[in-house]
Amino acid sequence: MIEIEHLSKHYGDNIVVDDVSFAVGDGEIAVVVGTSGAGKSTLLRMINRLVVPNTGRVLIDGQDTATLPEDELRHRIGYVIQGYGLFPHRTVAENISTVPRLLGWDRRRIAARVEELLDLFQLDPGEFAQKFPHQLSGGQQQRVGVARALAAKPALLLMDEPFGSLDPVIRGKAQDDLLAIQRRLGTTIVLVTHDMNEAFHLGDRIAVMDQARLLQYAKPADLLTHPAEAFVEQLVGTAERPFRLLSLVTVKDAMEPGSAEGEPITVSATLRDALAQLIWRGRPALPVTDASGAPVGRISVDGILKHGRASLS
Amino acid sequence: MPTLRPTLHLDRLGSVIAGLIGLALVASPFVTYRANRIVSGEGRLLFDALPPAGAVGTILVVIGVALCAALAHRPLVRLAAASLGLCVIFPAVGVSAGFVTPVGNTFARVSPAIGFWLLALAFALLAADALTRLRLGPWGRLAALSIAAGMLALLLLSGAWSDLSLMKEYANRAESFWREGRQHLWLAFGSMGAACLVGLPLGLASHRVPALRAALLQGLSIVQTIPSIALFGILIAPLGYLAANVPLAAALGIRGIGAAPAFIALFLYSLLPVVANTMAGLSQVPADVTEAARGMGLSRRQRLVQIELPLAFPVILAGIRIVLVQNLGLATIAALIGGGGFGTFVFQGIGQTAIDLVLLGALPTVALSFAAAIILDAIIDLTRRGGHDRD
Repeated sequence: MIEIEHLSKHYGDNIVVDDVSFAVGDGEIAVVVGTSGAGKSTLLRMINRLVVPNTGRVLIDGQDTATLPEDELRHRIGYVIQGYGLFPHRTVAENISTVPRLLGWDRRRIAARVEELLDLFQLDPGEFAQKFPHQLSGGQQQRVGVARALAAKPALLLMDEPFGSLDPVIRGKAQDDLLAIQRRLGTTIVLVTHDMNEAFHLGDRIAVMDQARLLQYAKPADLLTHPAEAFVEQLVGTAERPFRLLSLVTVKDAMEPGSAEGEPITVSATLRDALAQLIWRGRPALPVTDASGAPVGRISVDGILKHGRASLS
Repeated sequence: MPTLRPTLHLDRLGSVIAGLIGLALVASPFVTYRANRIVSGEGRLLFDALPPAGAVGTILVVIGVALCAALAHRPLVRLAAASLGLCVIFPAVGVSAGFVTPVGNTFARVSPAIGFWLLALAFALLAADALTRLRLGPWGRLAALSIAAGMLALLLLSGAWSDLSLMKEYANRAESFWREGRQHLWLAFGSMGAACLVGLPLGLASHRVPALRAALLQGLSIVQTIPSIALFGILIAPLGYLAANVPLAAALGIRGIGAAPAFIALFLYSLLPVVANTMAGLSQVPADVTEAARGMGLSRRQRLVQIELPLAFPVILAGIRIVLVQNLGLATIAALIGGGGFGTFVFQGIGQTAIDLVLLGALPTVALSFAAAIILDAIIDLTRRGGHDRD
């Protein structure tokens, strides 16, 4: 549990973060979105005290982070930045083992951990452990950056535009991979981005910031249906709203009994993807199958549209 | 080579080298013969400088190398030709000394003349160009340097050159040659070491404290612009005072003239490259790397030792390379104020108009600078672990 209480930061007269409070539950992903210069990164950097707040405090599991030595605090918090900041003179294995070595883990434990993480991020240890960062593609560097941040099994991971330098094709895959790994490890994540799609894709809760203030902190669906201010509505995109909403719900929730002709859709697909299929195939309904491929019902355009409206009532 | 058909593809640099070789062969004396060590001498063309069979053989080899330079394209072939040329003309000039000197005449002196130097230059250019085209790695370059040094040592130790004036000058001064050599190295390396001891912390401090940066760099740049003779002059008064009033200083051999002011001058000249490169090296460490290191909880000291210094090291080494090559050359002028070193022979030689004595001081200095540059360049390449920041 991360509790951010009344955090403020100013440089001279320039207020960068203004009285921001919110809490992130264990195992949740909180995404901080906003335009550039909104104070997102400063807020994030106050959590691991790379920036010392002027007022307010951050509690991790009830403990005030100001009471811990800075370096010790940072050993317990994973940190990923946009350029990853991999150490160019160290191999992938050495990069990943940075914090475990600082913590004095023994060699065998470190080696096992490095291998485990490389496997987790689908990088063959035999091939990648001894490579240098400049020998990796952007996507591989990104994975090594996240693996390095997770090396000492931190309960909290801070990510500042972690997908910002990836091209759109790899970005989607990297986001899915992060989600899968996060669900598996149960790590709490605070992630900063300016990309609304990313926020809706990853966030259990989304914090919208503008001009140093936190405008709204809510679940994605609430942000769409009950925007607190005009700016939030604008940022979310009025035209995009119904589609974003559909992307938050899976086929399972809008499924009807019965059957239909055509290419089946799985229950775990989002309604947005299902609608896209229905439009593309030119059919009023398509069959739905479960993970094993067995038919379990049908999904129709009407059913989806009803779902898109329902939350507004 | 005007007779070559235009269909042949001529190598541009190789043609220039071939031209140099032609000039050396046809129009320049290979050795100079003098009746004694200070009178002016008469030149001997290559054909007259060696026994007939040797002369013809040498000329054929030289022409062959010129053809290779102009026409051959594979770097290995060019390197082999250049090496062959060097391996022929270096012993040849020694043989020539014995051949040209009348039997039993111990006063006559024979020196390599412009023709020999042009040939040596042409072959060395060809070899250097071939080595560059081969793109040797650091180990390859070190190996090439060791081979060249080994060949040179073999040549000198074998006595093939003992009839040359240069070696006669050496034979008369063998003991002082090595003494001055040690002094030369001590001046160059000692002042470099001192500059590193002082310059690294200064560079680090000015990286951390921007206010210090401009003042320090300007001060050191001003020092750099003072001519060495003037710097010696400036140092005479304070060092003389020190020697007269501080017994310890006098006991250490510090005087207004001699090795102490030379050492201090070299040290002062060395500071700028060391300080500037330390700063440059540290400031080119990518910001996201330091940010990530801080974010992972590396302490200030850990960041410096594990991240910043290793990443700055190649640039710092490049500064040390500048210093070393510069000092090995500059140490020559220490002899002006009685500081010793190879410069002793240079200035003696100038005083006596004995050009071979000048060479006895100058050639080892050039060789040392050359070797130091190659060795340090190789080390710099080796320290760029992971091949980063090659941009």
